[in-house]
Amino acid sequence: MIDTKAKKILSIDLSRKQSETKSFADLNTFIGGIGLGLKLYETYKEENPLIFSIGPLNGYFPFVSKTCVLVNNDGVIEDIYIGGGLSLRMRFAGIDALVIYGRSEGETVLEIQNSQVNFLPLQEKINDLGLPGKKSILTFENDKIILDGYFTTPEDFLEQNLKERKVGGIVITGTEIFKPENFLEYEKIYNEILSRSEEMSVERGNYPSCSNCPMGCGKSKVGEIGGNVLIHSLVGCQFADKIYTDIGIVFSCLNVLGYEYTHEDIENLPGLIEKTLKNLS
Amino acid sequence: MAKNLKATQEDKCNGCELCILESQRQLKKVGLEESLIRIFKGESENSYKVEIDPRVSVLDIEKIKSICPKEVFEITEND
Repeated sequence: MIDTKAKKILSIDLSRKQSETKSFADLNTFIGGIGLGLKLYETYKEENPLIFSIGPLNGYFPFVSKTCVLVNNDGVIEDIYIGGGLSLRMRFAGIDALVIYGRSEGETVLEIQNSQVNFLPLQEKINDLGLPGKKSILTFENDKIILDGYFTTPEDFLEQNLKERKVGGIVITGTEIFKPENFLEYEKIYNEILSRSEEMSVERGNYPSCSNCPMGCGKSKVGEIGGNVLIHSLVGCQFADKIYTDIGIVFSCLNVLGYEYTHEDIENLPGLIEKTLKNLS
Repeated sequence: MAKNLKATQEDKCNGCELCILESQRQLKKVGLEESLIRIFKGESENSYKVEIDPRVSVLDIEKIKSICPKEVFEITEND
Protein backbone atom coordinates (compact mmCIF):
# COMPACT_ATOMS: atom_id res chain seq x y z
CA MET A 1 0.00 0.00 0.00
CA ILE A 2 1.23 3.50 -0.83
CA ASP A 3 1.64 5.57 2.33
CA THR A 4 0.58 9.02 1.18
CA LYS A 5 0.26 10.45 4.69
CA ALA A 6 3.83 10.16 5.92
CA LYS A 7 7.46 9.87 4.82
CA LYS A 8 9.31 6.70 5.70
CA ILE A 9 12.90 7.36 6.71
CA LEU A 10 15.63 4.77 7.13
CA SER A 11 18.37 6.14 9.39
CA ILE A 12 21.73 4.43 9.67
CA ASP A 13 24.16 5.09 12.51
CA LEU A 14 27.55 3.90 11.27
CA SER A 15 29.31 4.37 14.61
CA ARG A 16 26.91 2.09 16.48
CA LYS A 17 26.09 -0.15 13.50
CA GLN A 18 22.41 0.43 14.10
CA SER A 19 19.53 1.30 11.83
CA GLU A 20 15.96 2.38 12.36
CA THR A 21 12.95 3.00 10.14
CA LYS A 22 10.38 5.58 11.16
CA SER A 23 7.42 7.26 9.46
CA PHE A 24 7.00 11.02 9.88
CA ALA A 25 3.63 12.57 8.98
CA ASP A 26 4.97 16.08 9.64
CA LEU A 27 7.49 15.74 6.79
CA ASN A 28 4.78 15.37 4.15
CA THR A 29 4.61 19.09 3.40
CA PHE A 30 8.24 18.95 2.22
CA ILE A 31 7.09 16.76 -0.74
CA GLY A 32 10.39 14.92 -1.30
CA GLY A 33 13.88 15.25 -2.78
CA ILE A 34 15.53 18.57 -1.92
CA GLY A 35 12.59 19.70 0.27
CA LEU A 36 12.46 16.52 2.33
CA GLY A 37 16.25 16.20 2.36
CA LEU A 38 16.86 19.69 3.73
CA LYS A 39 14.30 19.23 6.49
CA LEU A 40 15.95 15.95 7.44
CA TYR A 41 19.33 17.68 7.33
CA GLU A 42 17.99 20.22 9.83
CA THR A 43 16.60 17.42 12.03
CA TYR A 44 19.88 15.49 12.04
CA LYS A 45 22.15 18.57 11.82
CA GLU A 46 24.20 17.68 14.91
CA GLU A 47 25.03 14.30 13.35
CA ASN A 48 26.41 15.84 10.11
CA PRO A 49 24.24 13.53 7.98
CA LEU A 50 24.52 12.32 4.43
CA ILE A 51 21.05 12.13 2.93
CA PHE A 52 19.59 10.34 -0.08
CA SER A 53 15.98 11.30 -0.79
CA ILE A 54 13.37 10.66 -3.46
CA GLY A 55 10.01 12.22 -4.27
CA PRO A 56 6.44 10.91 -4.41
CA LEU A 57 6.54 10.16 -8.15
CA ASN A 58 9.85 8.26 -8.31
CA GLY A 59 9.29 4.67 -9.40
CA TYR A 60 5.79 5.39 -10.66
CA PHE A 61 6.21 7.71 -13.63
CA PRO A 62 8.60 8.18 -16.57
CA PHE A 63 11.42 10.74 -16.43
CA VAL A 64 11.27 10.95 -12.61
CA SER A 65 14.45 8.97 -12.24
CA LYS A 66 16.90 10.92 -10.11
CA THR A 67 17.89 10.65 -6.46
CA CYS A 68 18.69 13.76 -4.44
CA VAL A 69 21.90 13.58 -2.38
CA LEU A 70 22.57 16.18 0.31
CA VAL A 71 26.10 16.34 1.50
CA ASN A 72 28.13 18.68 3.70
CA ASN A 73 31.08 20.12 1.79
CA ASP A 74 33.22 22.10 4.24
CA GLY A 75 30.17 23.66 5.87
CA VAL A 76 28.20 24.16 2.65
CA ILE A 77 25.26 21.84 2.06
CA GLU A 78 25.44 20.71 -1.54
CA ASP A 79 22.46 19.19 -3.36
CA ILE A 80 23.52 16.84 -6.10
CA TYR A 81 21.43 14.41 -8.17
CA ILE A 82 22.31 10.98 -9.43
CA GLY A 83 20.51 9.06 -12.18
CA GLY A 84 20.39 5.33 -12.85
CA GLY A 85 18.13 2.96 -10.96
CA LEU A 86 18.69 4.09 -7.36
CA SER A 87 15.44 6.06 -6.98
CA LEU A 88 13.45 3.09 -8.29
CA ARG A 89 15.12 0.76 -5.78
CA MET A 90 14.51 3.20 -2.92
CA ARG A 91 10.85 3.42 -3.93
CA PHE A 92 10.51 -0.36 -4.02
CA ALA A 93 12.43 -0.63 -0.75
CA GLY A 94 9.56 1.46 0.60
CA ILE A 95 11.74 4.32 1.83
CA ASP A 96 11.50 8.02 1.00
CA ALA A 97 14.90 8.90 2.41
CA LEU A 98 18.06 7.34 3.69
CA VAL A 99 19.91 9.25 6.43
CA ILE A 100 23.47 8.11 7.11
CA TYR A 101 25.48 9.49 10.00
CA GLY A 102 28.48 8.68 12.17
CA ARG A 103 31.67 6.96 11.08
CA SER A 104 32.34 3.29 10.73
CA GLU A 105 35.22 1.74 12.66
CA GLY A 106 36.46 -0.23 9.66
CA GLU A 107 35.77 -0.08 5.93
CA THR A 108 32.10 -1.01 5.55
CA VAL A 109 29.60 -1.90 2.89
CA LEU A 110 25.95 -1.23 3.63
CA GLU A 111 23.66 -3.93 2.28
CA ILE A 112 20.09 -2.68 2.41
CA GLN A 113 17.02 -4.71 1.55
CA ASN A 114 13.83 -2.75 2.14
CA SER A 115 14.19 -1.62 5.78
CA GLN A 116 16.81 -4.21 6.72
CA VAL A 117 20.45 -3.07 6.90
CA ASN A 118 23.52 -5.32 7.08
CA PHE A 119 26.89 -3.78 7.99
CA LEU A 120 29.46 -5.84 6.10
CA PRO A 121 33.23 -5.58 5.87
CA LEU A 122 34.40 -4.12 2.56
CA GLN A 123 34.85 -6.95 0.12
CA GLU A 124 35.80 -7.34 -3.49
CA LYS A 125 32.61 -9.18 -4.35
CA ILE A 126 30.24 -6.29 -3.69
CA ASN A 127 28.51 -7.16 -6.98
CA ASP A 128 27.34 -10.44 -5.42
CA LEU A 129 25.40 -8.66 -2.68
CA GLY A 130 21.68 -7.84 -2.99
CA LEU A 131 19.07 -9.50 -5.18
CA PRO A 132 19.79 -9.66 -8.92
CA GLY A 133 17.60 -7.42 -11.03
CA LYS A 134 16.22 -5.63 -7.99
CA LYS A 135 19.33 -3.90 -6.68
CA SER A 136 21.45 -0.84 -7.27
CA ILE A 137 25.12 -0.79 -6.36
CA LEU A 138 26.95 2.37 -5.37
CA THR A 139 30.66 1.73 -5.14
CA PHE A 140 34.11 3.22 -5.68
CA GLU A 141 35.90 2.76 -8.99
CA ASN A 142 39.23 4.56 -9.30
CA ASP A 143 38.33 6.96 -6.46
CA LYS A 144 35.01 7.92 -8.11
CA ILE A 145 31.62 6.79 -6.86
CA ILE A 146 29.85 4.84 -9.59
CA LEU A 147 26.23 3.73 -9.52
CA ASP A 148 25.42 0.50 -11.33
CA GLY A 149 28.75 0.59 -13.15
CA TYR A 150 28.01 3.82 -15.03
CA PHE A 151 26.29 6.77 -13.32
CA THR A 152 28.26 9.34 -11.31
CA THR A 153 27.66 12.61 -9.43
CA PRO A 154 29.09 16.08 -10.10
CA GLU A 155 32.26 17.12 -8.23
CA ASP A 156 33.61 14.74 -5.58
CA PHE A 157 31.46 15.72 -2.57
CA LEU A 158 29.90 12.27 -2.21
CA GLU A 159 33.25 10.51 -2.61
CA GLN A 160 34.86 12.60 0.16
CA ASN A 161 31.91 12.12 2.48
CA LEU A 162 31.75 8.35 2.09
CA LYS A 163 35.52 8.04 2.48
CA GLU A 164 35.43 10.04 5.73
CA ARG A 165 32.71 7.70 7.02
CA LYS A 166 34.63 4.61 5.84
CA VAL A 167 31.77 3.47 3.66
CA GLY A 168 33.11 1.59 0.65
CA GLY A 169 29.77 0.92 -0.98
CA ILE A 170 26.00 0.76 -0.65
CA VAL A 171 23.85 -2.00 -2.15
CA ILE A 172 20.13 -1.39 -2.04
CA THR A 173 17.45 -3.90 -3.00
CA GLY A 174 13.73 -3.14 -3.22
CA THR A 175 11.16 -5.92 -3.27
CA GLU A 176 7.95 -4.14 -2.38
CA ILE A 177 4.99 -4.01 -4.76
CA PHE A 178 2.54 -1.12 -5.00
CA LYS A 179 -0.93 -1.07 -6.46
CA PRO A 180 -2.42 2.37 -7.11
CA GLU A 181 -6.13 2.14 -6.35
CA ASN A 182 -7.31 3.59 -9.65
CA PHE A 183 -4.96 1.52 -11.77
CA LEU A 184 -6.58 2.26 -15.12
CA GLU A 185 -6.21 5.99 -14.58
CA TYR A 186 -2.63 5.48 -13.36
CA GLU A 187 -1.77 3.58 -16.56
CA LYS A 188 -3.42 6.24 -18.68
CA ILE A 189 -1.37 9.05 -17.09
CA TYR A 190 1.80 6.95 -17.27
CA ASN A 191 1.35 6.39 -21.02
CA GLU A 192 0.47 10.05 -21.63
CA ILE A 193 3.69 11.18 -19.98
CA LEU A 194 5.79 8.57 -21.76
CA SER A 195 4.35 9.76 -25.09
CA ARG A 196 5.73 13.26 -24.34
CA SER A 197 9.36 12.20 -24.72
CA GLU A 198 9.76 14.67 -27.60
CA GLU A 199 9.38 17.43 -24.96
CA MET A 200 12.55 16.28 -23.24
CA SER A 201 15.26 18.88 -23.71
CA VAL A 202 17.84 16.24 -24.52
CA GLU A 203 18.51 14.04 -27.53
CA ARG A 204 18.01 10.30 -27.54
CA GLY A 205 21.28 8.40 -27.46
CA ASN A 206 22.83 4.97 -27.21
CA TYR A 207 24.01 5.28 -23.62
CA PRO A 208 22.71 3.49 -20.51
CA SER A 209 19.39 5.00 -19.45
CA CYS A 210 18.03 5.88 -16.06
CA SER A 211 15.24 3.54 -14.93
CA ASN A 212 11.83 4.53 -16.29
CA CYS A 213 13.35 6.75 -19.00
CA PRO A 214 13.77 5.68 -22.63
CA MET A 215 16.18 8.44 -23.65
CA GLY A 216 19.65 6.91 -23.12
CA CYS A 217 20.88 10.48 -23.40
CA GLY A 218 24.43 10.27 -22.12
CA LYS A 219 24.01 13.43 -20.05
CA SER A 220 22.61 11.52 -17.08
CA LYS A 221 26.02 9.89 -16.57
CA VAL A 222 27.40 12.90 -14.70
CA GLY A 223 24.31 13.74 -12.62
CA GLU A 224 23.01 17.20 -11.78
CA ILE A 225 23.73 19.96 -9.29
CA GLY A 226 21.28 22.67 -8.12
CA GLY A 227 18.25 23.77 -10.17
CA ASN A 228 14.44 24.00 -10.12
CA VAL A 229 12.91 23.45 -6.66
CA LEU A 230 9.77 21.62 -7.83
CA ILE A 231 11.66 19.33 -10.22
CA HIS A 232 14.19 18.55 -7.50
CA SER A 233 11.51 17.93 -4.87
CA LEU A 234 9.81 15.45 -7.19
CA VAL A 235 13.35 14.41 -8.12
CA GLY A 236 12.57 14.42 -11.79
CA CYS A 237 15.16 14.77 -14.52
CA GLN A 238 16.21 18.35 -15.26
CA PHE A 239 15.65 17.62 -18.96
CA ALA A 240 11.98 16.81 -18.19
CA ASP A 241 11.29 20.31 -16.89
CA LYS A 242 8.67 21.03 -19.58
CA ILE A 243 6.67 18.04 -18.34
CA TYR A 244 7.12 18.30 -14.60
CA THR A 245 6.73 22.05 -14.25
CA ASP A 246 3.27 21.52 -15.79
CA ILE A 247 1.28 21.74 -12.56
CA GLY A 248 -1.71 19.95 -14.13
CA ILE A 249 0.44 16.90 -14.88
CA VAL A 250 2.05 16.99 -11.44
CA PHE A 251 -1.36 17.04 -9.72
CA SER A 252 -2.71 14.27 -11.98
CA CYS A 253 0.24 12.10 -10.95
CA LEU A 254 -0.03 12.93 -7.25
CA ASN A 255 -3.80 12.50 -7.15
CA VAL A 256 -3.87 9.13 -8.88
CA LEU A 257 -1.40 7.82 -6.30
CA GLY A 258 -3.67 9.10 -3.53
CA TYR A 259 -1.67 12.13 -2.39
CA GLU A 260 -3.78 15.03 -1.18
CA TYR A 261 -1.35 17.86 -1.85
CA THR A 262 -2.97 21.18 -2.70
CA HIS A 263 -1.85 24.05 -4.95
CA GLU A 264 -0.91 25.87 -1.74
CA ASP A 265 1.41 23.02 -0.74
CA ILE A 266 3.25 23.37 -4.05
CA GLU A 267 3.24 27.19 -3.88
CA ASN A 268 4.52 27.15 -0.29
CA LEU A 269 7.36 24.75 -1.04
CA PRO A 270 10.01 27.33 -2.06
CA GLY A 271 9.23 29.32 1.12
CA LEU A 272 9.52 26.20 3.28
CA ILE A 273 12.85 25.37 1.70
CA GLU A 274 14.11 28.93 2.18
CA LYS A 275 13.06 28.86 5.84
CA THR A 276 14.81 25.53 6.36
CA LEU A 277 17.97 26.88 4.73
CA LYS A 278 17.88 29.92 7.02
CA ASN A 279 17.59 27.64 10.07
CA LEU A 280 20.59 25.72 8.82
CA SER A 281 22.80 28.74 8.21
CA MET B 1 0.02 -20.53 -32.95
CA ALA B 2 1.55 -19.39 -29.67
CA LYS B 3 3.44 -16.13 -29.69
CA ASN B 4 6.66 -15.64 -27.76
CA LEU B 5 8.66 -12.59 -26.78
CA LYS B 6 12.38 -12.87 -27.47
CA ALA B 7 15.23 -10.43 -26.78
CA THR B 8 16.90 -10.84 -30.16
CA GLN B 9 18.79 -7.52 -29.94
CA GLU B 10 19.91 -7.78 -26.33
CA ASP B 11 23.13 -5.92 -27.15
CA LYS B 12 21.05 -2.78 -27.80
CA CYS B 13 19.39 -2.80 -24.35
CA ASN B 14 20.01 0.47 -22.46
CA GLY B 15 18.76 -0.80 -19.08
CA CYS B 16 15.78 1.57 -18.88
CA GLU B 17 13.56 -1.19 -17.46
CA LEU B 18 10.47 0.13 -19.27
CA CYS B 19 9.70 -3.45 -20.38
CA ILE B 20 9.75 -4.71 -16.78
CA LEU B 21 7.51 -1.92 -15.59
CA GLU B 22 5.11 -2.42 -18.52
CA SER B 23 4.82 -6.16 -17.86
CA GLN B 24 4.19 -5.44 -14.18
CA ARG B 25 1.53 -2.82 -15.00
CA GLN B 26 -0.26 -5.40 -17.12
CA LEU B 27 -0.42 -7.50 -13.94
CA LYS B 28 -1.77 -4.43 -12.11
CA LYS B 29 1.28 -3.83 -9.97
CA VAL B 30 4.22 -1.43 -9.70
CA GLY B 31 7.52 -2.91 -8.59
CA LEU B 32 10.24 -5.36 -9.54
CA GLU B 33 9.24 -8.37 -7.44
CA GLU B 34 8.08 -11.46 -9.38
CA SER B 35 8.52 -9.68 -12.69
CA LEU B 36 8.32 -11.87 -15.80
CA ILE B 37 11.14 -9.86 -17.37
CA ARG B 38 14.38 -9.09 -15.59
CA ILE B 39 17.31 -6.93 -16.64
CA PHE B 40 20.78 -7.59 -15.26
CA LYS B 41 23.96 -5.65 -15.66
CA GLY B 42 26.10 -7.45 -18.24
CA GLU B 43 29.73 -8.33 -17.79
CA SER B 44 31.08 -5.97 -20.41
CA GLU B 45 30.83 -2.21 -19.96
CA ASN B 46 27.38 -0.70 -20.52
CA SER B 47 25.83 -4.04 -21.48
CA TYR B 48 22.71 -5.66 -20.08
CA LYS B 49 21.24 -9.13 -20.00
CA VAL B 50 17.50 -9.63 -20.56
CA GLU B 51 15.86 -12.64 -18.95
CA ILE B 52 12.32 -13.50 -20.03
CA ASP B 53 9.99 -15.89 -18.21
CA PRO B 54 8.00 -17.84 -20.87
CA ARG B 55 4.82 -17.05 -18.94
CA VAL B 56 5.15 -13.50 -20.30
CA SER B 57 3.29 -14.79 -23.38
CA VAL B 58 0.00 -14.49 -21.49
CA LEU B 59 0.53 -10.72 -21.46
CA ASP B 60 0.15 -8.17 -24.24
CA ILE B 61 3.64 -8.79 -25.64
CA GLU B 62 3.10 -6.46 -28.58
CA LYS B 63 2.82 -3.62 -26.07
CA ILE B 64 5.94 -4.76 -24.22
CA LYS B 65 7.81 -4.97 -27.52
CA SER B 66 6.71 -1.51 -28.59
CA ILE B 67 7.58 0.23 -25.31
CA CYS B 68 11.26 -0.68 -25.74
CA PRO B 69 13.10 2.38 -27.12
CA LYS B 70 15.91 0.26 -28.53
CA GLU B 71 13.83 -2.41 -30.35
CA VAL B 72 15.42 -5.19 -28.34
CA PHE B 73 12.45 -7.55 -28.68
CA GLU B 74 10.93 -9.64 -31.43
CA ILE B 75 7.77 -11.67 -31.37
CA THR B 76 8.09 -15.18 -32.71
CA GLU B 77 5.42 -17.79 -33.36
CA ASN B 78 5.54 -21.45 -32.35
CA ASP B 79 3.47 -24.21 -33.94
